[in-house]
Amino acid sequence: MNNRFIVKPELCTGCRSCELACSFTHAIDGVRALTRITPIDGGFKDLWVPVTCLQCDDAACIKSCLVNALKRNPVTGAVELNHEVCVNCMACVAACPFGCAVLDTQANLIVKCDLCGGDPACAHFCPTKALVWEPIEKSVKKTG
Amino acid sequence: MIHITINGKVVQAKDGEMLLTVIRREKIDVPTLCHHEAVEPSGACRLCMVEITKPEWDGWCDYVTSCLYPAADGLIVNTHAKKVNELRSSILDMYLARHPKSPEIRQLAAEYGVLKTQFEEVVDGDNCILCGICTRICDTMGFHAISMVGRGHGKEVAPPLNMAPTACVGCLSCAKNCPTNYIEYNMENGGLTIWKKDFEMVACTECGKTTITKEFAEYLSKNRDINIDYFRKCDECHRKELAGTMGRISNWDREARS
Ligand code: SF4
Ligand code: SF4
Ligand code: FES
Repeated sequence: MNNRFIVKPELCTGCRSCELACSFTHAIDGVRALTRITPIDGGFKDLWVPVTCLQCDDAACIKSCLVNALKRNPVTGAVELNHEVCVNCMACVAACPFGCAVLDTQANLIVKCDLCGGDPACAHFCPTKALVWEPIEKSVKKTG
Repeated sequence: MIHITINGKVVQAKDGEMLLTVIRREKIDVPTLCHHEAVEPSGACRLCMVEITKPEWDGWCDYVTSCLYPAADGLIVNTHAKKVNELRSSILDMYLARHPKSPEIRQLAAEYGVLKTQFEEVVDGDNCILCGICTRICDTMGFHAISMVGRGHGKEVAPPLNMAPTACVGCLSCAKNCPTNYIEYNMENGGLTIWKKDFEMVACTECGKTTITKEFAEYLSKNRDINIDYFRKCDECHRKELAGTMGRISNWDREARS
């Protein structure tokens, strides 16, 4: 893992560019998919929180999957869902304490953020840099 | 890594992986009715049949179920050879005779040119094609709630003694993955009934939305070491909760800066 995905709610304007980027990037046969990221009102004036998968270390979704359809990608650090293996039992949707595994009712597939395989589209499209994908050393230096 | 030829194109494969896996990876459409990546292949439907040969076979070919045939170096595969298509049509012809009312079978048969079966139609049959996807998935998940019972004409999928199965948690995986949508269930008023067993759904403590049964949530909590509280809210209310928590932190930060 070289990069990490950073969310800075204080910079989010709630413009929802991330949703569009996500939904187009994960389209199937030209049909837009359900977005895996969504800005939600943070409960204070002018404060939006882009909510998406936290790629937890001890991930409840991975533990809940009885057919091993969810696996960690060692390169990106993302928990990826293999749709060929998934049996649609909804265990992960129910188990995620952050609500970040969701049922795409149109595609009839359970979906979650996969960090676009290592180049998150939402970070490219966020106009205010509330979402960034950057080398770990860089962010450690800034905050530490 | 080994090399095999599929429909004239040389492709890489792992030694011993099943031909169907390689074929699907190459995005070639081979029909299947009993295949699911979550479970071991069983070779029940015969539709994934392909033609194989090797240069040293002197022009001889073999016809094998690709879901159960391991890839080997130098193998030459034809997924839509004339003979293969004929075999698939005959198999679908029989399926159509056995399950004339199944929309899924009718569509697949039509794709292989079989619009009407040449055999006698079974009039009082059901739509279960005995592929075993349901039982294999239930077994793989660790429940073993249903199985194939009986033989020959009487063979069917059923829970033990045809009674509501104690081992079933109501995850619906059997029903949702049945290729002919044969397995019935009923979900209403916060309850679920499948295989004659009644379940109560977990209702979100905020909005009442239901996602899985109580029995499934308790099973997951107990056997997979997941905090039972995680199951109390639905996905949407969980996202709102996360936004609220992160919002509060960002707001402190914002106030501290100003
Ligand atoms: S009920 Fe459906 S999944 Fe189960 S054996 Fe019959 S056709 Fe296959
Ligand atoms: S609903 Fe019951 S029978 Fe069907 S797969 Fe789940 S546990 Fe098995
Ligand atoms: S997929 Fe059914 S026999 Fe191979």
